[in-house]
Amino acid sequence: MGETGPGTTVESEIAVALSVAVGLFLALSSGSRAHAVELDAAQRVTLFREASSSRSGICADKGNCDLTVIHPQTDISATFGSGVSMAGGYAVDIVSGATPKVFGVDAVSTATRFSDTRHEVRGSLTYARPTAEVTAGYSYGWESDYKSNGLTVTTRSDILDHQVTLGFGYTHNFDTVCDQDNTASAGRPLDRVALSSSQNCFKSGAGAQGTVTHALNIDSLEPSVTWAATPRLLLQGGATVQILDGFQSNPYRQVELGSAARTPQETVPNLRQRFAVFGRSAYAFPRTRTALHAMTRLYRDTWAVEAVTGELLVNQYLAKFLLFSVRGRVHAQRGASFYRDARGYRLLGPNGQYWTGDRELSPMENLLVGGKFAYIRIPEPGAPHFFNEIEAAAKWEGLFYRLDSALAPNADRKLAMIWQLAISLRF
Amino acid sequence: MPRLTAVILAAALGLAGCGHLGVKAHQRELLADRIMKLDGDAQEKAADEHVLSNREGAIGGTGTAGGGCGCN
Repeated sequence: MGETGPGTTVESEIAVALSVAVGLFLALSSGSRAHAVELDAAQRVTLFREASSSRSGICADKGNCDLTVIHPQTDISATFGSGVSMAGGYAVDIVSGATPKVFGVDAVSTATRFSDTRHEVRGSLTYARPTAEVTAGYSYGWESDYKSNGLTVTTRSDILDHQVTLGFGYTHNFDTVCDQDNTASAGRPLDRVALSSSQNCFKSGAGAQGTVTHALNIDSLEPSVTWAATPRLLLQGGATVQILDGFQSNPYRQVELGSAARTPQETVPNLRQRFAVFGRSAYAFPRTRTALHAMTRLYRDTWAVEAVTGELLVNQYLAKFLLFSVRGRVHAQRGASFYRDARGYRLLGPNGQYWTGDRELSPMENLLVGGKFAYIRIPEPGAPHFFNEIEAAAKWEGLFYRLDSALAPNADRKLAMIWQLAISLRF
Repeated sequence: MPRLTAVILAAALGLAGCGHLGVKAHQRELLADRIMKLDGDAQEKAADEHVLSNREGAIGGTGTAGGGCGCN
């Protein structure tokens, strides 16, 4: 991990990315006029709402401490007859809610309101042949206290007469995180002060007063193999390896340690190595026009988080143009080796040299259930049409949490609702 | 060493067998249907992963982008 100065402006970075994308698009368009071009456009908006059951402090008014995330996404892609396709997308996270400033036994009384907006633009280029394809992509995300650059390469190749598909994905992220300048307390993590505001983040010179930026590098590898086992059965197996190196704490979060009411900034290790293996299957029931999907995943990392996840999904045609899906998913995990609930941190102090108030690192289980309706319209062959396909979908899911302690992080939030509306067109 | 040889032989035989046990091109109608896509809709998958990866300590298990059923 290294501390760096402020980066270039967001506007100039976006301008360069857009210029490259437009240039590539024009070059490819002009070179493929003789071929048919297929265009896809998709718009989706997700509303995520996690209700708080707390009724004290600023949470006294119902809904005041709920976490709300609105996540619109727009994606456009063009596939050229030459086997080349381009894709671009834009997504936003509009987040509002309340979060405890200090993870302690009386976390709710320290809760403060916050709101933030995260933007992401991305683009990719794919070259496909009958038995193989390769995609290279770039994404840039920015918010008031975090910047992310991601480079992705994925490949797919069919072997053994298309019986088996080998997939491989690699992503490198080089991210930058804003933090409070704790240079004065170097080597004394109990004296680290949390960031109070992102107001000075990523500013240059004197404007950045009191803040620094840290690097976070993330490398992810995802190999997979898919086998068309029978005319009704698809099987897939794969793995994910991810290595994170850099600042991974929440810079705003404080953790109450011991009975002397010390509340230093959250401190977690700089290095995290994560491993997952998974198996998936899909089975077709042609008489009822149904497909049953199943997935299981095993996960562990070097912070001692271990997890098992299982999922079932049923896709069912209710009519030629109407698709219904129902999904159930369970997840259970052990907490990180340095995790304790708020009472544990107060009575026993830190478990080693790290401490956290992150629910993701706590022992927990969750259950997700929900359903989706999709309307699909594909014009009959030969009939005059404006589009080749249109799909509109509405989805609802409920996410239920079960934490192992009433003093675990976000213990007041036991249920989240997820609504989604989507429309996609193919020309 | 004999155990490693046996594993390599078994894997080679398994892969070789795939060519006979698998599905011919004209038998892939069901596998090519949208309801059988293991990766589902890419935009929906990205949104789902975005929600869960921010609320769980685990990652992965969603497959490599571009993985498919050999239905091209």
